[in-house]
Amino acid sequence: MIEGASSALVAPVAAVRVSSRSNWAPLGWGSAVLLVLAWPALAPDGFFLQIGTLVMLACIGAASLHLIIRTGQVSLSHAAFMGVGGYAAVLTQSRLGLAFPLNMVAAVLLPAAMALLIGPVLLRLTGKYFVLVTFLFGEIVRLAFTQWTSLTGGANGIFDIPPLPPLLATPTGFYFLSAGTALACIGLVMRILASEVGRSIDSIREGERLAACAGVPVLWVKTLAFTMGCGLVGLQGALSSYHLHYIDPTAFTSVQSLNFVIMNVIGSMDHIAGPLLGALFLVAMPELLRGYVELQHIIFGLILVVVMAVLPGGLFGLYGRVWPRKRRS
Amino acid sequence: MLSPALLGQVFLNGASLSAIYVLVALGFTLLFGIMRVVNFAHGAFAMLGGYALYTLYGVYGWPYLAAVPAAALLVAAAMVAEAWVFRWFYHRMLQSMIGLLGLNMAIVYSAVLVWDVYERSIPAAFPGLITVGGLLFPADRLMVIGIACAVLAAFWLFVTQTRFGLAMRAASQDVEIAEAQGIDAKRIYQLAFFIATFMVALAGGLYAQIYSLSPFMGDRPLLVSFVVVILGGMGSIPGAALGGIILGFTESILSTFFGSSLSTFVSFGVVIALLVVRPSGLLGTPEAVRA
Repeated sequence: MIEGASSALVAPVAAVRVSSRSNWAPLGWGSAVLLVLAWPALAPDGFFLQIGTLVMLACIGAASLHLIIRTGQVSLSHAAFMGVGGYAAVLTQSRLGLAFPLNMVAAVLLPAAMALLIGPVLLRLTGKYFVLVTFLFGEIVRLAFTQWTSLTGGANGIFDIPPLPPLLATPTGFYFLSAGTALACIGLVMRILASEVGRSIDSIREGERLAACAGVPVLWVKTLAFTMGCGLVGLQGALSSYHLHYIDPTAFTSVQSLNFVIMNVIGSMDHIAGPLLGALFLVAMPELLRGYVELQHIIFGLILVVVMAVLPGGLFGLYGRVWPRKRRS
Repeated sequence: MLSPALLGQVFLNGASLSAIYVLVALGFTLLFGIMRVVNFAHGAFAMLGGYALYTLYGVYGWPYLAAVPAAALLVAAAMVAEAWVFRWFYHRMLQSMIGLLGLNMAIVYSAVLVWDVYERSIPAAFPGLITVGGLLFPADRLMVIGIACAVLAAFWLFVTQTRFGLAMRAASQDVEIAEAQGIDAKRIYQLAFFIATFMVALAGGLYAQIYSLSPFMGDRPLLVSFVVVILGGMGSIPGAALGGIILGFTESILSTFFGSSLSTFVSFGVVIALLVVRPSGLLGTPEAVRA
């Protein structure tokens, strides 16, 4: 029973896996990239452009968490690392006076370094224990943001974030900055997953012991994925604080971490398209239901219940069900 | 600084916090142990319990001791009807986490629609102080401890002394074997769900009375039940009791002498360390190694 429970954390994989090498994949990716690039021209007004920016930012977090989840470890501290990245960028700019590209580098390096330090300790735990311990770790980091007032401004946050270079400061410019970063992150994650490391990652999720017996350095590969995922999400933290000209601890709570997990689960945990669909769904839906704030949360909550109850493979799994794939030759 | 009055106060706070924490965490661990469901909606039920008590006692003016169990029963009854949501998620841990998070969101914002977001307070049932041996005790806290102890004792008797309790323990060890022995797992699930909701709703009422009542008050009990259940071992009932007592007293002592944020830091830090060293918690059984 106990074993069944812990393996339930790993999605039923073989049943719904859709190969990225299927015939339709290049067409799908191509049209998605085209849509992303053409969005500023297609968007009816600034509001929709804003939604586009938010979706792009969320895609960074969702795709980077996907890299971690593919090893079979569901992390609930992803938003904390995003916060570390955000504060790293803002503080290196305001305190050290570094230029924008260096801020972004700091936003990747600091959370990645943290992940590299704690990863080998935390990643020994699997299943629900990893979920719970990362949940608590996220809370500790959030408390540190709130309590370390001299550095982070505490609960008030930091207001006076200097503007970006003029070309990037316009809504369209910022959209392309976010979209470019998101596409680069997604491309990197896809490249890693398609490489030999990616195959090690998949083998660890499917059977950790077997992978170890076959010579996969399990803890090392897990730490690698965790470090890269946490580093990438730092970019989202940095970009969204530039977007809002403001950073405070409420953006990095366990609720946001859960949102990242939800994006992955609602989309699909077995394919990189899943978290991107999830991010689109999770960010765009509430924005479009803005008029009815309470009702929006209620409807959204019920949708989560229904999707989780009826669609175990997520929205992307639906694709595999409606159009059953031909057997792989 | 360390006067007897202060120590008595710390002890009483610790005891009443522990009582509430144990009530909250028992339900959480029960649902996890038997149905393998991580109930992210646990805090929402605590919140509903708070509002039920507010309505019955604060608005309609029922006598307090009748209103407490009635309020808890009200929530439990509503939730038995809601069990069709939960039924989808039995033995599906990850799906249950996210689906029930959605349920939590739906309940919390429905409560916002019904009762608006402002904090309310439930009038104190027993204002005043009781003097014992020269020390002053607020009567409210003593009553919280009394109610919680009564419920916990009843729960313990039920689990250890009745056939239903035996069936529940059997189902929590291994559902398939239990069903093979003629135990109706569905009935046991309903029973466990009812008991868990009853306890958390009662705890929510008591919590709302000591602190304050708002649609978002459930976050704290949810967090607490997480910590307590990890501390004691997931699915372990004595573990939840032990964890609740440890957490309640630690928080009371640390927050009195060092402030509340440090106490949260320390308790979370200790739990993380414990998880790394002994993932199954203080009283949990280690997971079987896959052959």
